[in-house]
This record gives sequence, C-alpha cells and structure tokens, in this order.
Amino acid sequence: MTAARRTVAPPTRLLGGRIPYIEAPLKVTGRAEYTDDLKRPGMLLARLLRSPYAHARIRSLDVAAARSMPGVHAVLTGDRYPTPFGVLPITHDETALAVGKVRYLGDIVAAVAADDELSADRALRAIRVDYEPLAEHVDPRVGLQRVDEPIHARGLNGSNVQKEVAQHFGDVDAALARARAQVHLRATFAGVTHAFTEPQVTIAEATPDGRLTVWSATQVPHYLHRALSEVLGWPLHRIRVIKPEVGGGFGGKSDPLPHEIVCAALAIETGRPVKLLFDREEVFLTNHGRHPVQNEVTIAADAEGRISAFDIQALIEGGAWSSFGTVTTYYNGVLSMGPYRVPNFRYHGRRVYTNRPPNGAMRAHGGTNLRYTVELAMDLLAEQLGVDPIDLRRRNALAPHSTTVNQFRITSTSFKQCLDAVESRSGWREKFRRLPYGRGIGLGAGFYISGSNSPIHFSPRMPQSTVHLKVDMDGGIAVHSMQADIGQGSSTLLAAIVAEVLGVDLERVHVVRVDSDVSPIDIGSYSSRVTFMMGNAARQAAEHLVEQLLHAAGELTGYPEDELVVAHERYQVGHRPEIGVSFLEALHKAIERSGALVATGAYTGPPMGGTFKGSRAGTSPAYSFAAYIAEVEVDVETGLFDVEKVWAAFDCGRPLNRLAVEGQIEGSIHMALGQFLGETMSYRGPRLMNPSLLEYKIPTPQQMPEVEVLLVGEDDPEGPFGAKEAGEGPLVATMPAVANALYDAVGVRFTDLPVTPDKVLKGIDARRSAGAGWKGTR
Amino acid sequence: MHLDPFELHRPRSVDELFRLSERLGPEGFDLLSGGTDLLPNYKMHLNVRPHLVALWDIAELQGHQEGRLGAMARLADLEADPDLRHAYPAVHEAASLVATPLVRASATVGGNLLVETRCFFFNQSLPWRESLGYCLKADGDRCHVVPQRERCYATFSGDLAPALAVVDAEVELAGPRGRRRTPVLNLYDTGGDGIRRHHLAPGEVVVAVHLPEATRGLASTYAKLRVRPSFDFPELGVAALLALHDGRIQRLRLAIGGLETHPRRFDELTDPLEGELWSAERAVTLAEEVRKAVRPVHNTFLPPDYRKRMTAVFVRRALTTLAERGAAASA
Amino acid sequence: MPHRPFSFRLNGRERSLEAPAERVLLDLLREDLGLVGTKRGCDLGTCGCCTVLLDGRPTLSCLTLAHEVAGRHVQTIEAVAPTTGLSRVQSAFVEHGATQCGFCTPGFVLTATALLRDHPHPTREQVVAAISGNLCRCTGYTKIIEAILAAAEGP
Repeated sequence: MTAARRTVAPPTRLLGGRIPYIEAPLKVTGRAEYTDDLKRPGMLLARLLRSPYAHARIRSLDVAAARSMPGVHAVLTGDRYPTPFGVLPITHDETALAVGKVRYLGDIVAAVAADDELSADRALRAIRVDYEPLAEHVDPRVGLQRVDEPIHARGLNGSNVQKEVAQHFGDVDAALARARAQVHLRATFAGVTHAFTEPQVTIAEATPDGRLTVWSATQVPHYLHRALSEVLGWPLHRIRVIKPEVGGGFGGKSDPLPHEIVCAALAIETGRPVKLLFDREEVFLTNHGRHPVQNEVTIAADAEGRISAFDIQALIEGGAWSSFGTVTTYYNGVLSMGPYRVPNFRYHGRRVYTNRPPNGAMRAHGGTNLRYTVELAMDLLAEQLGVDPIDLRRRNALAPHSTTVNQFRITSTSFKQCLDAVESRSGWREKFRRLPYGRGIGLGAGFYISGSNSPIHFSPRMPQSTVHLKVDMDGGIAVHSMQADIGQGSSTLLAAIVAEVLGVDLERVHVVRVDSDVSPIDIGSYSSRVTFMMGNAARQAAEHLVEQLLHAAGELTGYPEDELVVAHERYQVGHRPEIGVSFLEALHKAIERSGALVATGAYTGPPMGGTFKGSRAGTSPAYSFAAYIAEVEVDVETGLFDVEKVWAAFDCGRPLNRLAVEGQIEGSIHMALGQFLGETMSYRGPRLMNPSLLEYKIPTPQQMPEVEVLLVGEDDPEGPFGAKEAGEGPLVATMPAVANALYDAVGVRFTDLPVTPDKVLKGIDARRSAGAGWKGTR
Repeated sequence: MHLDPFELHRPRSVDELFRLSERLGPEGFDLLSGGTDLLPNYKMHLNVRPHLVALWDIAELQGHQEGRLGAMARLADLEADPDLRHAYPAVHEAASLVATPLVRASATVGGNLLVETRCFFFNQSLPWRESLGYCLKADGDRCHVVPQRERCYATFSGDLAPALAVVDAEVELAGPRGRRRTPVLNLYDTGGDGIRRHHLAPGEVVVAVHLPEATRGLASTYAKLRVRPSFDFPELGVAALLALHDGRIQRLRLAIGGLETHPRRFDELTDPLEGELWSAERAVTLAEEVRKAVRPVHNTFLPPDYRKRMTAVFVRRALTTLAERGAAASA
Repeated sequence: MPHRPFSFRLNGRERSLEAPAERVLLDLLREDLGLVGTKRGCDLGTCGCCTVLLDGRPTLSCLTLAHEVAGRHVQTIEAVAPTTGLSRVQSAFVEHGATQCGFCTPGFVLTATALLRDHPHPTREQVVAAISGNLCRCTGYTKIIEAILAAAEGP
C-alpha cells in the first residue's frame, strides 16, 4: 500500500477554507515572544560604532580608552573575526566588522558590550579611528569602467561591476528585423526598503558547556547558522539558532547580517549573554532592500501581436556588498518573460557596487521593477497595434506544460483565467479609454517563482525542506521544522496540512518554535518557497504517520488497512463507516508497538533547467501568475492621485488558506503602492537623507484602495494539494496596473519611480506643451 | 534610543515657573508640554538642555473653553470639539490634520505654535549630523541647504499658526514682567537668522490663545499639502478666511505655513480688497501673487518649485471654496 | 540623576515606582516592569507600535515621560483580554486575519478598543481615521479595518 493512495483528495476539511493564524491569540494579547522581549540573566547590551565616511581606509583604530571605561565588558574590531561571508557562497565579500576599509556611511567599525546603553554609547564615543577618505562611488554608470580604488578588489577588471550577465536565446536581431511592431521603453527606479516594524535584534549567549545559543529576528535561521559557524570558526553542532516570533521580514532578514555575528562574538568574548537591538536609523542603513535600477525593454511582435522578441538591459545599483546580487542580476532578465511566450530573448544585466547601504532581496526580488517596464511596454505595444491590452496578453500567454526559450519548465498556469476574471469584474470593456480625463483604468500582469530550485547551500539532491512529527500518548502532535514564520502564516499552514492528513482537529497540532537543536532543516522564508516545499514535506511526513495509525486501526477493527479511510478524529472502514476507531484508540494501539510515533517528510526539487551558465537562476518547481486591474483618479492640477480600486486575480494553484492568501495579496498591493507613491531611499551623494519612518513614506490606511481578490488558479500537479506560492508574486502586477491606469487617465507614461505628485504634474505639463491632447483635452 | 539625563521640574503656577526659569537661565532649560516634538529631538541629541520644565501642572494652561485655547490644550480635544468646528473651522481643520491621532492625543496648542523648525539636515541622529560636520541650527556653523554661514532655512512646520492667524487670534504671554496679548504671528521673528525664531522675552511663556468674537462663525479653511494623509508635516499649509456681504469682501485673510522659516499672513495683498466685489478672478490673482511671494527651499520631501506652484492652487481653491460656502450661506 | 518616586494606576492596580526623569513610559513598561507586549518599533512616535491607553486615550509610550503618568491610568495590551478568552476586538482580529507578523498588533488592538468604546458603531471612514497613526507593513490594513468593523456591536 502506498501513501499516495490515501492522499486527501478535495474536498478537504480544513485546507481551502479560512484558517485563522494559530499564533494570532498570542499576538493580539501581546503574549507572542519576539527576540527583544527576551531577557537573559546578566545580559549585556551591545552598540555599534558606524563609519562616518562612505569610503575610507582605516589607518588606525584605538579602542584602549573605550575598553577601560566603566560598565564596558568588551570592545570588538574587525581584525578579530575577519573571515568573509555572504548569503551566496560564491560572493563572500562581507565581514562582521570593517576590515581595513569602510564601504558605506554606516558600515560597522567597532562594537561595544556594556552594562547598559548609556555606558555603551559613551564607550563608542571614546573610540578613536583615523580614516583616510577615498573617492566615493555613488553612480553605477561611472562604476562600469575601471576606477581608482574600486570598492571591492573583486570588481570586474578594476571596475565596480559586481556581476555581469549576458544571455541570448534564439536570434533577437533577426526577430527585430522581421518585426511588424516594436516598442522600446526605459525606466528608472529608486531603491526601496522593507521597513518591517520590528527592528533587527539578536541575543547571543556562550555557555560553559562549549555551546553558543543565538536568538535572532531572522527569516532564514539556517543560513545564519552557517554564517555564524564560518566566521566564528565554531562547528555547526555547537551553535544553536533559535527564531522567536519575527516582526516582518520581506527579505530584509534573509541575509545573515553582520550584527548577528558581532553579537555572537561579543557573547563569546564576555561570557555573558549579549543583546544587540537596532534603532530605526540602523534598520534603514542595514537596508538590503530592492535595488535601484535603470532598465530598458524592447519588445518586438508580428502583425497579429504575437511577441517575437524581448531585448532587455538592466543597470543595477548594488550598494556596498554583494548580498543576493548575483541572483538579482539574473532575475532582472530571466523573470521578465513569463507570463508570456517569448521565442527570442536577449539580456544584458550589470550590478555595480556603490558606496551606499547594500541592496539585496525584497519581496518579489528581481521580478518587480523589470516587470513594471515590460508591462508598460506591453501596453504601448497594444496601443501601437490597436489591440486591447487584455487581448494582447491573452494572445501571448504561456501554455500550460510548456518550456520557455531559456529552459524554464512551466507546469500549471491559469494566466488566461486571471485575465478573464479581472476583465469581467472590473467592467473593463466599458471603461478602458472611455472614462473622463483624469480617470483611468489599467492592467498589469504578474509572474513569479514558487520557490527557488537552487537552494544556496545544497547540492540539488539534498532536501530543501524537512518536517518531523512526534505523537505521544497525550494525543498532541508536535511538528518540527526550521520553516520560518515571519507573519505570512506558514506555521498555520504546516499545522493545517498535518491535521488535514491525520484527520484530527487543528488544536491537537503544536508547531514547535524554530530551534536548530530540534528542528530539521528547512531553508527558510525567501523566494516564496515555503508553501510549496514545506507543504510537500509536511504532507509526506503526515502521510507516513497516518500509515502507522491506519495499521493500528486495522489491527483493532480486524479489517485490512487498505479498506480503512481517514475521517474526522477517526479511522473507519470505507464501506462501513459505523465500524472504526477514534484517533486516540488508534494512536494508543500504535504506541504499544513502537513507543511515541515519529515520522519524517522531506521535499527535494526535481531536476530542471538547462546546462548553460546561469541556467538554474529562476528555475522553480512551479510559477504563480497574476492579472491586476487598477482604477485611479488624478487631480490634474496638483498631480495628487487616488488608487481607488484594485481587482486582483491571482493563480496560486489551489489556495490552502484563503485568509492568508488574501492577506498576502492585500499586503503586497500595499507594499507595491508604497514604492509607487513615494517610498524611496533618498540619497544625496552617499548619504541617506530619510532614515526614519516619518520621511520614508509607507502608505497610510487612507491610501489603501479597495481590493477585490479573485483566486482562479487550477491545481498545480506538484504543489501540496495543488498549491503554489502567494507571498511575493501578488506584488508585481500592482505597480504596472496603476501606471497603465494613470496613462489611461492623463495620457502619460511614468517611468521614474516613485511617481510623486510633482512628477505627475510635470508629465501632464509635458504632454500639454507638446500639444498632445488626451481623451478630449487639448 | 535613550534620552540623556536631565532634571525634570513641574511648577504648579506661572509664578513658580518664572522663579525656576530665572534660576536655570535662558539656555539652561526647555519647556515641555506634549513632548511629541521635543522628545524626538532630544532622542536625536538635538540642542539638548540639562533641565526640562514641564507645564503639565499649571492649571491655567490646561484645557480650552469658548474662545480660549489653553497652551496645554491637546489637539485631540480641539479635534473632538464640534463648537470649535462651527465657530473657527480653519482652526479645527488645522488641529485635526496635525500628524496622527496618536500624536494629537499628546500634542498641545502651545507646542504646535512653537514647534521646532524642520530640515533634512537637522532632524537626524547625532552620528548622521556628525558625519557632515553638523549644521548652523545645531552644533555647527554651516547651512547645508543654502550653503552659507549666516542664516538657517529650516522650515516652519506647524499647522495651527496660519489657521489662527486668519481668524485674528491673539496669543496671551506671561513673563516675569507681566502679561501681554499680541496677534499670533507677532510671536515669530521674521527678520532674524532663522535660529532665533520667536519674539519672547526671557522667561516668557505662551499661556493661551484667544479667538476673537469678530471672526466667530466666519467661513475659514485650512488645506495641507503632504504626501500621506496622515503622519506627514505640511509641505505647504494654506489658511484662508473670507467674509462676503452682498457680494463684497468684508474680511479676507490669507496665511501660509510649511514653506518658509516662519508662518506668514498676506495682509498687504488682502487688505486693499476690503469692500471690493468678490469674483472668481480675484482668487486667481491673489493665488498668483502669493505664489510669487513665497520662497521655499529644498529641505522637505517634495521639491520647492512644486510646493511654490501648489501655493497658487491651494490658495485659489481655498478662496473658491469659501466664496461658494459664503454664497450658499447667504442664499 | 536621582530616581524619583511616583505612583500611577497600571492596568487597574496602583503602582508606586521610582524612575529617573528621563525614563520614558515605553522603557518603564518593557525594561522595568516586564510588560513586553508594548512594542518598540521606532522610538520616535512614527509607528504606533508602542501605543498604550493613557486615561483611556491611545498614546505613544515612547514619547511620554514615565513621570508624566503620575496619578493617571495606564492600560497596556496585557490588560485588554478578560481573565479567560479574548476581548471582542481581539477575537475579531484573530478571526479576520488582522494579524500577520503581529508586531503592530498590540497598538492596533488598543487603538481599536478605545475607538469602539467611544464610537460603538463607527463608519469605515472613522475606523480608517482612528488607525491612521498606527503603521502596519504586512496587511495593507484591509483585514484590520474589517476586524474592527466586525467587532463593532450590531449592524
């Protein structure tokens, strides 16, 4: 008998419904435990000395006075732990503290552990640093060439280029020559940042048994675990990483961060527990947010509007470190094509170091800014061809179970159903180009990976997720996994999958806090991988467990176990439901034989992708699709505008927790609107001008449109119960939908983000002064 | 973040306050009312002083009654007062548009009048400012907005002052040498270096704001330009009052904030119009004249040329709205 | 600076404490009293995570000096729920998915609790206005607004 035979088929009891988050009662009462809520006996506080220069050599560093100050227990500098690290194994260019040189205004130069914050701050002020200022590099265009004193020695050919990607599939030049229609668009995007509400915080404690425990606000406990081991030189098994509740991440807590290592190092130096909590300015300086990008898109099509080529370029500002940058550089190309079939594709992308806070992965990493330009270009193409923008996208939709020109394996896609849904719900046919001047409606499409198939530290055949279950006489089911719930509801989904398969009530299932001592490895919350990968691992583990329970139920009922089925808290004979045993009866019988039941499940991505250089970038076991329509109203005299409504059709396969999927879509729309409306990492030279939640303009509830969520996906063949991701893909269609709606409203394509009211007004002016009327205006 | 240690004083009367301020010296202390402006600045180590004198316990500063807003009256209480909304709409609107409901719960009338001017180069942490060699307004000797060493260009960011100015409100001041009342805008030193910003005698405090009978019930409004409908300080604040009688201008006031180092009223533009017939063109002309007169600089989120341009739009719209309201009322 | 004694009501109980003048209420609650349900998001009054009720009114504890609450009543998130179970607002937040990361949640729950006490049947606009000082980065506010409206009594 195989587990697959007893796989739960729809209709399901829990999955597919609205499942309140299992930890929500703790959060609404203030009882959820975040890292900063923890106190250890004798705990010291750490503070960091940050560089006042964007680029400088450290000639000398004198910490003697600071060390001898009252209340100070340790002062740490870069020479103590100089081993480089980084989230990607191929680009280890960070150190825990600056070694020899600082690379951005805010780079960590020294750290102090003291009895209290005041003593620590006093000690920081007593540290003497002699800097030799170097030329500051803030323009990625300049950094493309050889420069004096490049930011890193590893820049290509003496430049500040961190990564260059050149790809060509098919024959783009031939396609362009043959094209009946061709559009070209350039756009510029300011950097944005995650701005989660919980500042970064870490607690570390080295104990006399030779072990180190680290509690940290992290999305990826396992990568932190590895970085700690590499830099501190401690074997992994002597380090224990615990992830308490995390107050939001969005990618900003997915790199192992220097301060986490610094905190651990201070704990080792002092023998005391140490807490390192960021203030809000430090959160902004640590950044790792969405890269500032200048991109260019050329789309060619035949007379029927079938796309024949994409030709794409991206210049990506990296900031001081590599972070996820190599992935970013690939993603800015390869994620541009889906949801469309593109037979010829060329991409040239470069990521350039600058002396600014590092950029990294932020929600819908690499698939957001590029998607914006593509979607505006698609609208332009529709206009040029005289085709409705929805029809144009229909004509070019990727087919289910197809392969892209760069060897992405496409399985399920409900992109056309997404288009149908928003078209009919929004009243598109009556509104598009028919609303009065100042009002507009626009479409954007979305596409994103459902988990990177290239986990960072594994050969592909090792599991990306493992889940352990333990059930003892009490009838409670303990679930262990290093999946990192950062508010998206992954713990709830984990519990619900286990409960679904076992047929038990959700309240029997306890998701145990992430703790590397007991949690089997799952590589955490990034690349929108958790539902798909952890979900499959959890399902497999639960199926192994239910096998044992059904075997016991068979012994108790005398029926062959393959005639037994799972019912609510009960295992019964399929054709005679009155004969059966309760979950607890089956459990206790099973325990007679083996003691407490345990089961393991794991997920490993299938082999996929081409064999060319960089072929794995962007490969995923499944992809999400989206079509959003936005309706806007513009005050054409002030440039202020309202996004009134968004119709959001999303293909996440089968939604397993509708409450969570809706929450991810609504939250994604909010975050994308922030980037569109005014969020910006605003720099003058190397200096961040707005490191505060007052001047970094996260949208308020008044700015949030009404959102109508339309979940139209069909079951994915490999997703758990047919599910795909819904955490990041819901972001990408938002900005282009709003921009295309603005075009419909006032006839201006906005290609410089954020689109603040002054820019709207300038666009309207430019169109008027060119004598170009729009929808009845002159 | 922590506050540097200071000594906290809680006088129970203005006389006690005067004795304290004499003892502590003019540079030795700051007054503390709601704390929503001062404490963030103190956390950023901006012009921190060793003593804070809290106004919480001085009874005559508290609360507001008809026509009198105590210096310690909380903006949330003004917002919740329907009588104020009918009697002095601009003042009510301005109070309701300050920051956020959470800030307004603590923020006070006096605090908003005397709110510290703001600038990208000033409202930053100590390490941030240190990395740039500080600025004229705190710890340094150079302005980074308009590079020179004489004048500070930080922006006046209070919402109440322009609204109070158009209803001809007076501020009541008490000092060791007695009490005085003066029009609200006389509080502001418009000719100075931008650092000294108020005409307050040593030890003098704002006790209350008085709203005159003459403007009670007149049509007035306050409009605020900002990126977000809450949180943000004004990028521009426009207050206007317009009373028409038989189509003629009986009383007309215009004031702005959020653009320059101090709030401003444009009597030189509006006084000559009293008794004249109102027309839509007047709103356009006046708006254009105000726009020409203002000089925003680049130290807030939105660019100064845009804020200047919006001045005309906001003034015209405010006047048009008031004229329509007035016409509707007399019809 | 010397610690000075002061008394206030905290979650319904009289408390007499000592604190230096520069102690802010947020630090007093979190560091001195272990009431860590009140969150530190920005320390500058710009996020609302540290919201408490001061004499019933939602107030920023990061910008309130501890001594300012002398003689007054402070209620924190720890005192919102009845002895067993959850308050109406809290239940609605759970049922409607109004929490994601949860870090802003205590502030929103307190703000909503005060709103519904004063306006048992708020309009959507009133809800939006009331929560416009609390930042949420996860939910887009949509489910928070739904939860508050659902928690309001009757239709």
